[in-house]
Amino acid sequence: MSVKNVLAVALGIMSAIGGFVDIGDLVFNTQAGAIFGFQLLWVVVIGVVGIIVYSEMCGRVSAVAKRPVFDLVRERTGFGAGLATLIASEIVNLMTCAAEIGGVAICFQLLSGLPYRLLIPLAVIGLAVCSWVLPFRWLERVFGYLGLGLLVFAVAAIKLHPDWGQVAHGFVPGSHSGGSLMVYLYFVVGLLGAAMTPYEVYFYSSGAVEDRWGLKELRLNQVTSIIGYVLGGFLSFALMIVAGALFLPLGISPQFLGTPALAAEHALGQLGLLLALVGILFAVGGAAIETSFAGGYNMAQFFGWRWGKRERPARASRFTLSWLAIFALALLLVMTGYDPVKLTEFSVIFSVVALPLTYLPILLIANDRAYMGSNVNGKLANVLGGLYFLLILVIAVVAIPLMLLTHGGQG
Amino acid sequence: MRGFRKESRLLVLGLIVGLVGAGCGSGGKLGVKALSQESKSLRSLAAEGALLAQDAVSGKTTRVYTREHSSDLYKAASQAEASLKTAETEPELEPKLRQLAVLAAQVSADLNRLGSASKEEERAVGRELQAAAKESKKIGEGLK
Repeated sequence: MSVKNVLAVALGIMSAIGGFVDIGDLVFNTQAGAIFGFQLLWVVVIGVVGIIVYSEMCGRVSAVAKRPVFDLVRERTGFGAGLATLIASEIVNLMTCAAEIGGVAICFQLLSGLPYRLLIPLAVIGLAVCSWVLPFRWLERVFGYLGLGLLVFAVAAIKLHPDWGQVAHGFVPGSHSGGSLMVYLYFVVGLLGAAMTPYEVYFYSSGAVEDRWGLKELRLNQVTSIIGYVLGGFLSFALMIVAGALFLPLGISPQFLGTPALAAEHALGQLGLLLALVGILFAVGGAAIETSFAGGYNMAQFFGWRWGKRERPARASRFTLSWLAIFALALLLVMTGYDPVKLTEFSVIFSVVALPLTYLPILLIANDRAYMGSNVNGKLANVLGGLYFLLILVIAVVAIPLMLLTHGGQG
Repeated sequence: MRGFRKESRLLVLGLIVGLVGAGCGSGGKLGVKALSQESKSLRSLAAEGALLAQDAVSGKTTRVYTREHSSDLYKAASQAEASLKTAETEPELEPKLRQLAVLAAQVSADLNRLGSASKEEERAVGRELQAAAKESKKIGEGLK
């Protein structure tokens, strides 16, 4: 592998870390760890394998067909099904973007002490300016690299001296203790939803087109999706272990975005706190940009508009207006004063409901020789893709009933 | 076929109403489960405040983070205090409800002090919040 490719993998890894661990993962992983300790670590493994399988398919489709997935969704599934997918995706994108913006404002508040309400519009302006001014690769680099501050949770996990035997046991599904079966299942669904959020695959596939991937990049696509998401999963493990080691014994049930940072602070002092807050800030900030872009990409690709960060904003005016509109609507949603953590829980659960609409077209297109030629799914990709699609169907059906029955995981 | 469709719709409607009903709870008086949930939530707020105070005493945290995070915890504790003050329950659960309401008021006051406390005060607040967390756990266990 050439130096250029090594660098490209590294950049992919950075962006995957920044994109994978967003506010949904922060909330669900720490809450799950605080209630069930390490018993739900196996769910993260399943979620990571699932997002690798489908991201690899999306990257391959983009590299071979030179078109992003949403472009092909309408062509392959027809206007009606495509429109349903578009509407569901845009609702989830908007809710997720709003939650991430709230998260950015909270991080700034915890760092600066300025009022939250003032910081919300400032956060949106800052993110919109970054999105407008920075080239695509620099967005990946800035938010990916600085999101690496989250690695402080891995160090904190070691410093908190968890029972490593119990941690290892958590990777094997089995009986549970600490909460009711319904709450346990709610977190299984939430963790899977947080790991396989639809915007991740839309952004990944459009990013592959923006980065001008071709057949030469197929290997790079595999390596990037595997290593990147495995590292993202590693951060999720760290968050859950930290919560299981510190919050569970004390009876702390995290309700605020500032609570995970408390664990880094307790284990590593002020440096740990600052690294955690900066890491969270850039991880959720990067995710806010990804969701707004994913919203713009989906609209532009569905309606056949000119799109892409490489285009001058005036040349791709409808695409530019779309992602700006997502930011503006998300701003209004957060300004209502609704708690971003609660909004995150809703957005993750509703994204679970929309998952089949996202993943079925990807599976179909990746198997279509008319688009993919000899690069259609192999046996392994089809077996895994099929199994994951069945799993997605099941969790999509049970997600909302579980949320209502458990009062959002409260029991 | 048409009758079957009508029955299916009624079944789905019934299921939704049932789930929403279960989600919203029974309303009115607090039962054992709701009180137990309140005690858990109060224990969590008190324990988190105690941890924050302990870290503030040992210089592990920043002033801004202590002030802002304790303010978030205080708001949640005040909400719990307000809802417990006006809540009603069965006569046999009345003492537990009163205990929780008193404890919520104390936790709320402690968290309010924490944001602008001196080192000595932080130590005292930390101890009080730790004791409140233990007390809340005891009340919750008494409800089982």
